[in-house]
Amino acid sequence: MKNLSLGSRVHYLVALTLGLFLVFGYLVATGSGRVSTFGWALFAVTALLLGLTLYTVHRVLLAIKNLTKNLKAAADGNLDQRMTGIKKGAATGELAWALNDLLDQQEAYFREVFSAFDHASQGKTFRLAMDQGLHGAFKDAMTRVNVSVESLGQVQHMAIKERLIARITDLNSGNLIENLKSIQEYLMSMTQELGVVGQISKETAQEAEGSRTTIENLVANLNQVAEMIAQTNAQTTLLHEKGDEINQIVQVITDVADRTNLLALNAAIEAAHAGEIGKGFAVVAEEVRTLSENTKDAAASIAATIESFGEATSRMIKDSEQVKEIAEGSRNAVRDFRSQVLKFADSAKTSMVQVDKAQDFSFASLVKVDHFLFKQNGYRVLHQGPDSPEARAIRTDHRECRLGAWYYQGQGAEQYSHVPSFHRLETPHAGVHASIQEAVNLLGTSWDKDEALQNRIFSHFESAERASEEVVHILDQMLDERHREL
Amino acid sequence: MSLRPQPTQHEKVLGENDFIVSKTDLKGLITYGNRVFIDISGYSEQELLGAPHNILRHPDMPRSVFKLLWDTIQAKSEICAYVKNLAKDGSFYWVFANITPSFDSRGNLIGYYSVRRKPKPEAVQAVSGLYRAMLDAERRAGDGQAGMKASLAVLHQALEQKGMSYEEFVFGL
Repeated sequence: MKNLSLGSRVHYLVALTLGLFLVFGYLVATGSGRVSTFGWALFAVTALLLGLTLYTVHRVLLAIKNLTKNLKAAADGNLDQRMTGIKKGAATGELAWALNDLLDQQEAYFREVFSAFDHASQGKTFRLAMDQGLHGAFKDAMTRVNVSVESLGQVQHMAIKERLIARITDLNSGNLIENLKSIQEYLMSMTQELGVVGQISKETAQEAEGSRTTIENLVANLNQVAEMIAQTNAQTTLLHEKGDEINQIVQVITDVADRTNLLALNAAIEAAHAGEIGKGFAVVAEEVRTLSENTKDAAASIAATIESFGEATSRMIKDSEQVKEIAEGSRNAVRDFRSQVLKFADSAKTSMVQVDKAQDFSFASLVKVDHFLFKQNGYRVLHQGPDSPEARAIRTDHRECRLGAWYYQGQGAEQYSHVPSFHRLETPHAGVHASIQEAVNLLGTSWDKDEALQNRIFSHFESAERASEEVVHILDQMLDERHREL
Repeated sequence: MSLRPQPTQHEKVLGENDFIVSKTDLKGLITYGNRVFIDISGYSEQELLGAPHNILRHPDMPRSVFKLLWDTIQAKSEICAYVKNLAKDGSFYWVFANITPSFDSRGNLIGYYSVRRKPKPEAVQAVSGLYRAMLDAERRAGDGQAGMKASLAVLHQALEQKGMSYEEFVFGL
């Protein structure tokens, strides 16, 4: 009996009772010999009731079997089963409904918990678990489940937000370093160029100093020439005075000659009158001798004058030779001066080209920094929000910015439009502006709850970085191409 | 199935601590209903078992809501919707229905499980206005696909205006 199931045990017991009852009936029938009609009727009713009881017990057992099956399934975690077709007023009806209610509570509870967590895991934290209709411990547990869902939601919200921030910060810092390196290179080449300019300026200054000395020498030489000329004038004046003296002497000689002539005439007349009177002739002869001595003195004076005249002439020749030398020196000085001036001009030209290059490098650095800042502003909107000054700063388009103004109207259009790389700049440059602007527009939406939006924002920033790299590269090429022509 | 009950203006209200539970097979035929369901719908368990779930469908409900509902659960997703139901005696009752798919141990879809709770009165008010507009659009565009499309367009427009998904909208009410 120990090993029999509950159902079989009931069957066994009922069968035994029936057997005993039949034996009892038989004993009654055979013991007294007769059984009254009432006795038989009682026996029949008892047997019928017994049969009915047996049937009821069978049905109850069947219901219990079903309930047991469902309970076992529930214990195994299958909450889907329910008791159906429950007869009104059946002995096990209430039990079946109670089991259904329990399973309804359990299944609703688990499905709610699953739905709420499933939604929360996708960032949909508005979908809380509903506790309405749940009872007792199920209801209490749901309150706690919702606290978890909400904190899970907060954590996820933060995580999603942080994920984009982390990704973009990573992208940004990586590129920032590259950008700074590029600026560094530029600053290095600018320093070099400026060093060349410095050296040239030094040389130019030295040459300018040389030119100054040359000019001073030239001025001194020219002063000397002026002094010489003044001296020559003085000599000429002296010469003129000596000429006057000679004239006076010549006048004296002329007078003497006149007088000698007159005396000679008188002597001739006297000689005619008195041939024997030789005494008179002797006086005339004496006079003529005196005159001839005077003439000899005058001639001596002339000789002396001519000698001093010769001295003056030789000094003049000497002076004029000095003047010639000085003039020669001045000419050489002027020739040197001219070549130095030419060299000076050459240096000035080289210096100008170097300064031009340096200016280009510095401008390129400036516009690169402009665009790095433009991108940085875009990244900052992530933290500062779409109404920040950073967000306003990025509204500048590629025609309005410094590079744009240079490219479309300014020096760029004038000096660079003929180099091959010039026309390749426009597309990536416009791309930097457009991509950052699109990313910032999306930052005005509820990106912090939407991973798809985050991916779009990230890809806009990514393409801005690629375009920016290209702008930097093309700027370098443009400078290189133009400088090779200089 | 017998003739559909004639709707009346009488409203039944679901208890604060109760919920209706029902299960259907893949075709929408009822396989289980709890006692709350039996009480409020007015049908006996015998009448409900094997009957299509749409015996409870109220004529004030736009057809497109049920299309949305079926499309969603057939894609193995959960759906929540405010629904006006028709009881056997012609009275109506509003519920906030939550329907989820049921799977066997191998992950096969075997039926649907629905829990219906008492909705907030303000939510019912908001939803009835929207449903009326959807129903009007549905009737104007005529039966079939065109009506369905017009009705869903009204819903999508309303959602777009609020900048919400359907789920955000129903849980936000």
